[in-house]
Amino acid sequence: MILPLLRSAAVARDGLPAWRARSLRTTVLACAALALARPGIAQVAATPDPTVSELKKLSVEELMDIEVTSVSKQPEKLLDAASAIQVITNEDILRSGASSIPEALRLADNLDVARQNSHDWNISARGFNTDLANKLLVLVDGRTVYTPLFSGVFWDVQDYLLADLDRIEVISGPGGTLWGANAVNGVINITTKNAKDTQGGLIETGGGTDLQGFAAARYGGKLAPDVYFRVYAKYFDRANEGTARGKDATDGWNMSRGGFRIDSTASPQNPLTLQGDLYSGDEDVTTGGTGRVSGGNLLGRWTHTLAPDSDLSLQLYYDRTHLASPKPSNGFVPAGTLTDDLDTYDLDFQYRFPVGRSHRLIWGLGYRFTRDDVGNAPSLVFLPARLDQRLFSGFVQDEIALAPSLTLTLGSKLEHNDYTGVEVEPGTRLQWNFADRRMLWAAVSRAVRTPSRIDRDLQEPTGLPAPFPSSILNGGPDFRSETVVAYELGYRAELGAKLSGSLSFFFNDYDHVRSTTPAPLTATSFGFPLVFQNNLEGETHGAELSFTYQMREGWRLHGGYTLLREHLHVKPGQVDFSHGLNETADPGQQFSLRSSVDLPRNVELDSGLRWVDTLHNNNGPNPGTVPGYFELDVRLGWHPTRSLELSLVGQNLLHDHHPEYGFPGPAREEIQRSVYGKATWRF
Amino acid sequence: MAVLSATAFVRGRAARWIAAAGIAWSALLLVSPAIAQPEATREYQIKAVFLFNFAQFVDWPPAAFSDPQAPLIIGVLGDDPFGSFLDQTVRGEKVNARPLVVRRYRAVAEVDTCHILFICGSEAGRLENILASLKGRSVLTVGDMDGFAQRGGMIRFATENNRIRLRVNLAAAKAAQLTLSSKLLRPADIVEPGKD
Repeated sequence: MILPLLRSAAVARDGLPAWRARSLRTTVLACAALALARPGIAQVAATPDPTVSELKKLSVEELMDIEVTSVSKQPEKLLDAASAIQVITNEDILRSGASSIPEALRLADNLDVARQNSHDWNISARGFNTDLANKLLVLVDGRTVYTPLFSGVFWDVQDYLLADLDRIEVISGPGGTLWGANAVNGVINITTKNAKDTQGGLIETGGGTDLQGFAAARYGGKLAPDVYFRVYAKYFDRANEGTARGKDATDGWNMSRGGFRIDSTASPQNPLTLQGDLYSGDEDVTTGGTGRVSGGNLLGRWTHTLAPDSDLSLQLYYDRTHLASPKPSNGFVPAGTLTDDLDTYDLDFQYRFPVGRSHRLIWGLGYRFTRDDVGNAPSLVFLPARLDQRLFSGFVQDEIALAPSLTLTLGSKLEHNDYTGVEVEPGTRLQWNFADRRMLWAAVSRAVRTPSRIDRDLQEPTGLPAPFPSSILNGGPDFRSETVVAYELGYRAELGAKLSGSLSFFFNDYDHVRSTTPAPLTATSFGFPLVFQNNLEGETHGAELSFTYQMREGWRLHGGYTLLREHLHVKPGQVDFSHGLNETADPGQQFSLRSSVDLPRNVELDSGLRWVDTLHNNNGPNPGTVPGYFELDVRLGWHPTRSLELSLVGQNLLHDHHPEYGFPGPAREEIQRSVYGKATWRF
Repeated sequence: MAVLSATAFVRGRAARWIAAAGIAWSALLLVSPAIAQPEATREYQIKAVFLFNFAQFVDWPPAAFSDPQAPLIIGVLGDDPFGSFLDQTVRGEKVNARPLVVRRYRAVAEVDTCHILFICGSEAGRLENILASLKGRSVLTVGDMDGFAQRGGMIRFATENNRIRLRVNLAAAKAAQLTLSSKLLRPADIVEPGKD
């Protein structure tokens, strides 16, 4: 989808006035800064046409800090500001010592990131972080990366050369109005740098205990005036984690990846981007065997600027993923391998323009075709094995300047999917810049989680003969979309030059949430198969707090806290096999504190402490908990010369090993303390 | 056949949405009093403001002006990318009591009295000739084409990280008897001819 990308550009580019960004060496609260920054800029953002007289008041330095292609993206910028967004910058990622995208996502206070084992991660916002977590929409450079298999994300294959990531935006709260189905509880927007900003070479290599060995290289150059490219390749090999009993979990894996990106502004009014990636990896599985994952994508995007605040863009991509996952025998059913081949073709168009002086309109149309081809395993079956699906979508949004400090945004998405037909996702937001650098916002939005293949097409054969049930769990032929109506209230502020923060509250009202209904109980059925239905409803509420404090030049502190309360229950008169507990597995609270210090002699010391509350893990054979835990990551970096960086990173230092997810038992996998060293050379 | 009809249904729906969106949009166009006309981009709005800054932060020799109140002339040579931004920027402005005036030229031969000359990308192939014919005159040459300062232009707008950087060829400015203020030079990159 184009839109997220543009939104991304919006916050990224002019969102944070650069002079402020630099002084804080930060970002996390891009929005706070963007909406509240300097009065002059705030006004630029709030009025349809930034006036020449405002620009003329700026110094040469300030003019040089204005990003030139960004103002056209302002409508999104304002909307982004009026949401619970956190921005993780390239610098945040590199200084944290994160070695993968999921690790980098720990830097977002509004996410729950739980590592199951060496290669599987559960990531969600505002709850519902089960094995089949499905309420988060994730995009990489405008390409949707969730799988229609279960509407979740295979985090193991989402990767990039981290040095070339521009930023990760994490928005908690519904984004359905712009992004459509599955942006129920949040949106993660991963953006890579423009090829122009990654010119020259980079080589990095290193190794350690968990991340046993890795190497990556990138080279960026110029193809023609204003046409830039980069190519990159990387490889890593990760060790096995352990089990609660201290045994080797045999879940090590490796991945090779490469790609390119070309950005052209040969015609300044018609920026073009062409990019693609290929990857392939092998993953050992604890239950035996080795899985294989591979895939690739190719994306092209054209933007045409009509005026400073009007443009249109067209994006087309193709994405292919292949998965082969060994499934163990379950007694009567032999072991086998589930394969999944997914081809996605996606076309998006959007157009933005002002109407009069107080309206900014944006509308878009999208079409996506997916072909999902499953090679069924004896114990896990999707019927039909091959399914073609088409998604049509359209959206329109109007941003209305009610008064200089008051902006109302109204919009809706309209989608048509093959499972449930038309879905409507309206939303409205109000932003009030009630004082200099202080802003209140409120939003009411509806979002839907449309059925995935698992909800409709799944069968888990028992292997039992005729009078007995043939399946344990089946998709429900009538499974419908889950819905949420979310009420949000937020506050963002820059309190003086050193402290900035945001606080948001939410109340989410869910209906038609997934449940499992037993078959009629007979002498031979034992109540099986269970069938997916929509018998749950309920509410969740909570708060997200985050702040950044500049202790002094070269020392920054960042803190975050989230609170989550979930109350899901079975609808009156209906049943659920797991009594409404199946869809949640979330910590009630999380806390994090990070410190980044620049020491003398080009040495950097970064540390991140996090505390995750007890996690109630319900979607298994029997309810259980993962005990709450503290963990600590530390990075020591040294730049002996301008082009060389050496760093030493320790992760999960407080425990020899600790679980982050899964059911209590000897087989539960635990994440081990790890250390790695890295050398990066730029030329 | 059921599949076929389902597809047709979907396509029909999509077509109706597109039609509905089109109608809604047309309606908006009708009710809207003013729709922004396609115009030059934000980038050139900022570059226009830079040109205005140059008028303040560059000193011309007295001989460059016919009298103390003579206007300071900003010229645009070639296919003008500024739209109305440059005119809006300098409208009503005075620098040292001199009004600012914008002139547009199709060829360098038309450039008579001029203090700041923006040489448009359309002139890239003729840059050497243009600069040669301005030689000896106190005209601040500004451009944004690749290699502009290296090829003898005085100030190049270079876009880096989506921001405008200034690359200044100090030797060329000196040769034209122009003095650039430190306010301009401090944030600029100084370019040695031959490097850009």
